Amino acid sequence: MQKRDQYHTIEDFLTDISFQRWIREGENHENWVEWSLENTQRAKLVEEARLWILATAVPIPPKNLTQTALQNTWDKIQLKEKEAEPTFASSSNRFWWWSAAAIVIVGLGIGWVFYQQNQTKEPLLTYSELISQTAEGLIEQTNNTNKPQLITLSDGSSVLLYPKSKLSYPRSFAGRERKVFLLGEGFFEISKNPQKPFLVFSNEVVTKVVGTSFRIRAFSNQPNIEVTVKTGQVNVASNDLITKAEKKSVTLLPNEGIRFLRQALSFEKMATLPNKDVSAPSTYEIEQVNFEFSDTPVSQIFAILEEAYLLEINFPAEKLKDCYLTTSLQDQPLPEKLKIICESLGKNTRYEMNGNQIIILSNGCN
Amino acid sequence: MSIAQIADEILWHRLKQGDKAAFSELFERYHASLTVYGNSLMSHPERVQDCVQDVFVDVWLYRHALSETVVVKAYLLSSVRKRIARLYQRDNVFRQTTSLESLEFLLDFSVEEQLIADEETATQVSQLNRLINNLPARQKEAIYLRFHQGLSIEQIGEMLDINYQSVTNLLHRAIQHLRKAWKGDLTLLALFIYRML
Repeated sequence: MQKRDQYHTIEDFLTDISFQRWIREGENHENWVEWSLENTQRAKLVEEARLWILATAVPIPPKNLTQTALQNTWDKIQLKEKEAEPTFASSSNRFWWWSAAAIVIVGLGIGWVFYQQNQTKEPLLTYSELISQTAEGLIEQTNNTNKPQLITLSDGSSVLLYPKSKLSYPRSFAGRERKVFLLGEGFFEISKNPQKPFLVFSNEVVTKVVGTSFRIRAFSNQPNIEVTVKTGQVNVASNDLITKAEKKSVTLLPNEGIRFLRQALSFEKMATLPNKDVSAPSTYEIEQVNFEFSDTPVSQIFAILEEAYLLEINFPAEKLKDCYLTTSLQDQPLPEKLKIICESLGKNTRYEMNGNQIIILSNGCN
Repeated sequence: MSIAQIADEILWHRLKQGDKAAFSELFERYHASLTVYGNSLMSHPERVQDCVQDVFVDVWLYRHALSETVVVKAYLLSSVRKRIARLYQRDNVFRQTTSLESLEFLLDFSVEEQLIADEETATQVSQLNRLINNLPARQKEAIYLRFHQGLSIEQIGEMLDINYQSVTNLLHRAIQHLRKAWKGDLTLLALFIYRML
């Protein structure tokens, strides 16, 4: 206990287990409090160290798995020790060696046949397999309605998720990349961040961007996966999981599209971007919307956004009736578009977003 | 004295001589926290579990070759880290498009909600928490190893293979940033982070 009298940095406190126990479990409480209050400098240090501990909690280790893991480890050890033994076998049982070798060769042959069959029959990589590879806590959203649904991600990107489609994404993007998983169809508008590329995993294809807009169609029951680009540059590659040896990748520019043939595991450029498709009227709609505005009434801009993103925007129509904007919102995710509009209208305008409900709060424009 | 009170170093010594009980005790001591650490480096719990167990398998199989004088905890943490790094290198799954020359510490620190009673503390703590979580992964990992695992600065330096000067520069920038961003009294805190590496 006496060594604490020498403490003069927060580090000293944080590395002291008894201090940690006081903060976390209240151990020896009166004694610590009394000691802390002896002088103000010390009290200040203690308070900072306390805040630090409160701000840096880590998960509590799951102790209950230890016994199973220990058993498992002993089993592995035993197995390895057995493997090591045959090196000491005497030459008298060479016959066994040869038969063992023969069995291994037959085994390899059978394995090869299985491998080949698996290769030709099931090259497909599914959404659920991809999800099971991660284990980060993902939020999954499924669109069971007959209209596209808007999802905004923690980095300010927005996704229009089409009917019969699913998107899995983390609550916030940790690490060096932003990764999401798509089954079905989605239109993505990604907030720019070159330091942290955005990756969409959809069946066998990985689409990588740093900030742009594009559409992916990857339904599990369709033979092809399609990626089409509206703005920016997009890199599309086959997932390493299925094409380890010869990974294929293509870079796409605006208005280009690519089709991945799932059986052949190869890419095929799409000749022309499909325009309005009669059989699926909702498809490729948002790409047709022109977000270039020149002296346009703000109410009309809101109406266009409402239609493109299937939103409901509430705004003080009377206060904004004389507001016109000239701006290009071609290349931003929805939250960014709204931010630009609000900033253009003036200081006292902001928006609130709750799912597909947007509320514009404003006292008029300047 | 029960086995639970015996120091790591003595258990290590016994383990080297083939004492299974000593091995099991060390396993029980460190398995859980090694698992948490492993999970902070790779988000694939089953693989992490394999790595942790394989570290112990090797400890037992090659016990004769182990150094007598090690800090057991630092040795185990470092072995888990190396093993996961090797897995990343070998495994295409995790190298999707960017190459991973080094591991990235993915853990986000959380707030001890149940220990906070008043609003002012809550605000300060959540602000500090956000700032710390926004530090580069390397610095967060150092913080974790220093205060949650109790490693020394030398051990951390060795483990992370840190170039002191470049980390100091990085930290300096981080502190400038923290100082601007945190409204609380940060002079002491800044001094402390600076000293830490």
